[in-house]
Amino acid sequence: MKKLLGPAIALAIIGLLVFVLFKAFGTDPHEVPFMLVGQPASNFKIKRLDTDELVTLDQFKGKPIVLNFWATWCGPCKMEHPVLEQAWRKYGNDAVFLGIVFEDNEQNTKRFLAENGYTFPQLFDPKSTVAVDYGVSGVPETYFITRDGVIQGKVIAPFVDIRQIEVRLKGLLQ
Amino acid sequence: MILALALSMVVTQGYAPQRQGLDPLEAEKEARVMRLGKQLRCAVCQGVSIADSPASMARAQLDKVRELVAEGKSDDEIYEYFVKRYGEWVLLEPTRGGLNSLLWLGPVLLLLIGLGVIVMQSKRKPAAATAAPAPTETPAPPASDDALLAQVRADLEK
Repeated sequence: MKKLLGPAIALAIIGLLVFVLFKAFGTDPHEVPFMLVGQPASNFKIKRLDTDELVTLDQFKGKPIVLNFWATWCGPCKMEHPVLEQAWRKYGNDAVFLGIVFEDNEQNTKRFLAENGYTFPQLFDPKSTVAVDYGVSGVPETYFITRDGVIQGKVIAPFVDIRQIEVRLKGLLQ
Repeated sequence: MILALALSMVVTQGYAPQRQGLDPLEAEKEARVMRLGKQLRCAVCQGVSIADSPASMARAQLDKVRELVAEGKSDDEIYEYFVKRYGEWVLLEPTRGGLNSLLWLGPVLLLLIGLGVIVMQSKRKPAAATAAPAPTETPAPPASDDALLAQVRADLEK
């Protein structure tokens, strides 16, 4: 029995090390975890850039919501904007499209939207705390929210084609 | 296109213009905001706290801490708020409990096991010595060797 104690301890330590290594190599250390999938989306009350009217998430319950966090200083955000605009023009009657401006100022945002003729509703989050409520880890990020107000998931990369949005929207529109 | 996107993501991430709405709290509360901020990991940096990072994301997260402190939330409630959104990854110092106990207790446990091994080995040595005692003196040469040596000397003198 005593003879087995040493190898047993050694085996336990090796097993523990293998487990730790497996866990460490099995995950990307730079990937920021996202914990809000399947959770109710936080309500907010922020103003719409074009009308100054206060908008809440709750007022859109019953319709799927596409929530895009972006900024004018973010190159990929600007690149994906035409794709979001196109999707809004196509599906704007069935789903709600909202942009939330992250860490930017009103002047920059209004100028960028006017210069490019983008018209889908944009909300202004002066301290970007709505973004933190949603667990945003950088921009652009787009959230897909069900009719019941539950976060179905988010896309961290910028959209380059409307079909990327359609794939996600189809599930929400059924 | 993909290369341009990847490049612009790297180049633009974190560089944001000064935006509206930054209002520090009174000194005591602001000190608490910074203390809490030192314990929370910035989402777009490499192991830097939100209090130490100049990134826009860190600025937004620190503003959220400021908002929660102003609302009178406790330290634990504020940590919980961030863990709920970003997981335990967001804590620069992992919590003490569950699997994380291994992180805290692991080194101590390994040290104790090492000490145990040393103690066991040192106890084993004397037992091995009684089983096969090591020679302490050079043994006396057998008598036949003396005769042989005498023979060699006699042959050399010839």
